[in-house]
Amino acid sequence: MNACEEHNVQLYLDNELRGQELEDFRAHLSGCVACREQLEEQQEFSDLLHRSRPLYTAPHELRTRVMAAQHVSVSDQTPDPLPKRVLRLMKQPLWNTKFAVYPWRALAAIALVFVLGMMFIPTIASNARAATYIDTALTTHRSYLDGRLPLEIESDSPEAVTAWFAGKVPFDFRLPSSQVLPNDQPAYRQVGARLVNYKGSYAALITYAMKNERISLLVASNKSATASGGEEIRSGALTFHYHTEAGFNVITWSTHGLTYAQVSSVHTSAHQSCLVCHQNMADSRKFQEHQ
Amino acid sequence: MSLTPNGAPVVEAADIEHIDGLYSYALVLTRNRSEAEDLVQDTYVRAIGAMGRLRPDSNVKSWLFTILRNTWFNQLRQRRTAKLVALDGEEGAMDVAETSKDPYAFYVSKTEHEQVREAIQQLPVDFREIILLREFEELSYQEIATILDCPAGTVMSRLARARAKLRTLLSAALTTSDFVRKEAME
Repeated sequence: MNACEEHNVQLYLDNELRGQELEDFRAHLSGCVACREQLEEQQEFSDLLHRSRPLYTAPHELRTRVMAAQHVSVSDQTPDPLPKRVLRLMKQPLWNTKFAVYPWRALAAIALVFVLGMMFIPTIASNARAATYIDTALTTHRSYLDGRLPLEIESDSPEAVTAWFAGKVPFDFRLPSSQVLPNDQPAYRQVGARLVNYKGSYAALITYAMKNERISLLVASNKSATASGGEEIRSGALTFHYHTEAGFNVITWSTHGLTYAQVSSVHTSAHQSCLVCHQNMADSRKFQEHQ
Repeated sequence: MSLTPNGAPVVEAADIEHIDGLYSYALVLTRNRSEAEDLVQDTYVRAIGAMGRLRPDSNVKSWLFTILRNTWFNQLRQRRTAKLVALDGEEGAMDVAETSKDPYAFYVSKTEHEQVREAIQQLPVDFREIILLREFEELSYQEIATILDCPAGTVMSRLARARAKLRTLLSAALTTSDFVRKEAME
């Protein structure tokens, strides 16, 4: 190595010299005025840059957004899919158990698990997806109530919110048609919206106010979110799934390639919960018929 | 971020410690505050989604910077395909630099920090990012090579050229600034 090469000063400053190369350069530096001057000059330049750290400081709002995104994302981590868990179980050593003595029993047990799994996987997977979506909707709603998910757009205009989501979410965003009371007043007032994270992508959160109640609506693609389980209420072509979780009412339904989850703390039954918005309305009979 | 024994990601206060670096990198790449903020948020979203694939001994900081860079260049590719931006992505709207028509006021009002920022933003994008990754984030050549997906030798040569260019820009700015200050005092 020619120790007087300019790049050695750079490598030395950047802590990229190791072992014998480092020793050699240090020895060279003690006797080479030119390299010492160059080192001093480059060090001065680096110091100038280092005094400007950090180059930019993330705005407070971005920190809040990231923390909120992490909060929601952590809550919606889905457990490993069943096949993966079965594979993991299969990888676990069986040979220190009684299966080691009778290996055919281990194979029979695995075959049984596999057959049962194949029978129930579609239902299990669908229910698991639905449960995950409900959990996410609940976590998101709680975060919103706690002020940890500030709205990114505040507007009572469905058109403005729809336009805001265009291009931001990986699906064709549509709001459910708003319900209007006989006096032409909407049953609830739209407050605003924001993006939330769901399964590594974005879902839409829209919030509403109704009297003293705050309601949230989570919208995601039906490719990643499923509505199933709970108490089923049919209205026309739609099937609503009513769940009560941790003191909140969650109603999920799918239409037009989207899955919706509405969360509120209205303390009523499934039918009464629907009738809160649909009372005295033309379609209220559809809900009352189920009572 | 870290993993619990069952593999679930845990968000720690330390996770946010890279946010200034990521935001700086995002601004250096996009030169647009709004896009930089979205890019940082996207990076965290993708990182959390991919946490399960991260080995316990992985370098989380480098990994986050790699995700940010890949996300940005994927977005650029998509925009180019959609013909939404000019072919040279770095020539997009630059809203991070402050400009003034009056050079006297401009230089007097500039702090050293601001001059450094402005000089860096005048560099080509490959120089901007390598200066940020080495001088501000103190990543090793190998870490930078992984992020940029290039050989370590390329990192060394590009870094040398970037520093030389930045030194020229900064010495001109600082000299002018000193001159203006002296003039103002007299």
